[in-house]
Amino acid sequence: MAEQLYNAVFIGSIYALFALGFALVFSVLDILNLAHPTVFMLGAFVALFAIGTLGLPWFVALAIAVLVTGLFGIVLDRVAFAPLRRRGAPALSSMISSLAVSLIVVRLVELRYGGDFITFPAGAVPAFVLRVGDATLEGIRLAIVVLSVALMVGLTYVLRRTQLGRDLRALAENPRAARLLGVDVDRAIAATFFVSSALGGLAGVLLAFAYNTLDSRMGVPLELRAFTVMVVGGMGSLPGAVIGAYILGFGEVASLVYLPTELRDAFAFGLLFLVLVVRPTGLLGQKSPDRV
Amino acid sequence: MMRRAAVGLVGVLLLASCGGGTATPSGNPATATVAAPKPDIKIGLATAKSGAANFYNPQQSNGAALAVDQINTAGGIAGAKLQLIVEDDGSVRDQGITAFRKFIEQDKVVAILGPTLSAVAAGAHPVAQAGGVPVIAISNTGLGIVGKCDYGPCDWIFRASLGEQSAVPETVKAATQKLGLKKVVIIYGDGKFELDDLTIFKEAFKANNVTVSKEIAYTAKDVDFAPFVTQAKGENPDAVVASSLAGPAGKILDEMAKQMPGKRVIGGNGLNSAALLPNANAGLIVVGTAWSKASTDKTNTDFVAAYKTKFGVDPDQFAAQSYTAMIVLADALKRSGNATDRAAVKKALEGVSSLATPLGPFSFTTDHDVKQPTFVMTVKDGQFTPFQ
Repeated sequence: MAEQLYNAVFIGSIYALFALGFALVFSVLDILNLAHPTVFMLGAFVALFAIGTLGLPWFVALAIAVLVTGLFGIVLDRVAFAPLRRRGAPALSSMISSLAVSLIVVRLVELRYGGDFITFPAGAVPAFVLRVGDATLEGIRLAIVVLSVALMVGLTYVLRRTQLGRDLRALAENPRAARLLGVDVDRAIAATFFVSSALGGLAGVLLAFAYNTLDSRMGVPLELRAFTVMVVGGMGSLPGAVIGAYILGFGEVASLVYLPTELRDAFAFGLLFLVLVVRPTGLLGQKSPDRV
Repeated sequence: MMRRAAVGLVGVLLLASCGGGTATPSGNPATATVAAPKPDIKIGLATAKSGAANFYNPQQSNGAALAVDQINTAGGIAGAKLQLIVEDDGSVRDQGITAFRKFIEQDKVVAILGPTLSAVAAGAHPVAQAGGVPVIAISNTGLGIVGKCDYGPCDWIFRASLGEQSAVPETVKAATQKLGLKKVVIIYGDGKFELDDLTIFKEAFKANNVTVSKEIAYTAKDVDFAPFVTQAKGENPDAVVASSLAGPAGKILDEMAKQMPGKRVIGGNGLNSAALLPNANAGLIVVGTAWSKASTDKTNTDFVAAYKTKFGVDPDQFAAQSYTAMIVLADALKRSGNATDRAAVKKALEGVSSLATPLGPFSFTTDHDVKQPTFVMTVKDGQFTPFQ
């Protein structure tokens, strides 16, 4: 039982890390970035390139992957979102635009690495196991859980207590008013995409480390879950996304333990459906000014 | 006489100066006619060059291409060359159907190999069945590919890829005997291949008096496999069965090594993937395969050497199967009497018997399924090796 609880916390942490970046862009800019799963995948492959091709140690590869995916986020905004934003295009156009960039990047990665799953070179990924009684705790998973919680706390602090956070909240409330009040809107948007994509890239690297496996479509299974936890947590609410992620993680594992396997998804998503019936705006759903 | 000799000499010189033609050793060179080359015999190959199954290429294309080269170098089929036309099935049903239609309606092929995935075959094979074109399935191991097919009669379809119905019982029998299995847990995915494998594994374990104490389902969108292995661990099984494709199998292997060190992972054809070989825990695998690179049969060693010479890498099972399918087809074309008559080729395919191939002696059953040896393998030093 202790092992399954630990598994649930781990899965919830991965969902939360992924969903945070997704929710951040939505909360500030009101757009769904469908390239986020690709950023997740890109982080893992940048780490693979740094380790496998450049021969760098894993922690340097991790830092490079976070930086590269953060910068990719800024480029993504400039290419896929900014031109449409300037023309006042509908949200659907932005979604399609991000999807197009996503498909291009996936194909480019497949051209370099192929479509099959691949592993890091032997011994390149940190690996140690803690045995507590009969239970097995893998070091990398423990690190992921701790890092996820630390990043969530850190992000909350940045948004609540720093000038950048105030700028982002102003932007989320009203971009025009924010600009009139002296907020550097372009810088704030760039920061949003940088942080969002860096989080997505970090999640990708950590999950690839945890499984020592990666493939060009590794972000796809997380996309639906990220949507789900955002809706349950309250569209655009970052704490809500985190809570939703852990509910989904615990729900999935609990249904595996207590129910016939055929009912597992029905239970997990039924639980989320129930939350929406009770609270249609999601657990922490609020109006836009207070979202970020 | 002198006059005829002089004319003959002039004729030879004229031919030589044109750089074409070859003087026949007998007969009058001046009046010899060069026979028109026979038209090529067109063969279609539908394979996943893109999409989810693209990692089976280029091996499938290479295997077929190597066989075609060897057959043409050896004189072709009664003087006619084979022409291989390769189309991408995209790993998706609709594109597979489009490729088959092009082969039949535009290219006028005499036979088709492929497509890569069973799910694509379920859409594409009925097109060939309706068009009366023989098909050899080179990597479709699921249920309903030959014999009793969901879409009705499928007597134009043949299979050169060892079906799970043949490979899994052999694997289970070997694993039960060598590991002394009494109780296993099956972790299975929700795709057609995985669900078919689940059914076949359960029947095979029942036949060997092994209890399946728990069946644990995962879905294609599951990210973390630790909870599934933790559930399996609770049953304290002698081994775990991974009814899955190679990607999830790699994650299951890693979790097994952490949570149940030393316990074996028994699998179907999904685990028979070169992509799993670098996995540090691949030594836990027990899998039934259609081909063994280690087989010392001369047909196999010749194939492995020729493939490596031509492409610079070792072949895998998918290369061996597409190569074999082409060899089998060539044998049928030669015996058909008319290599452009699809019905004659189909009839000749039905007569393929104990043909020497890299897969071992090869025959078709009355259901058009492959009859060949099963190789039960594990992984050692990054290579599939016989399971001892």
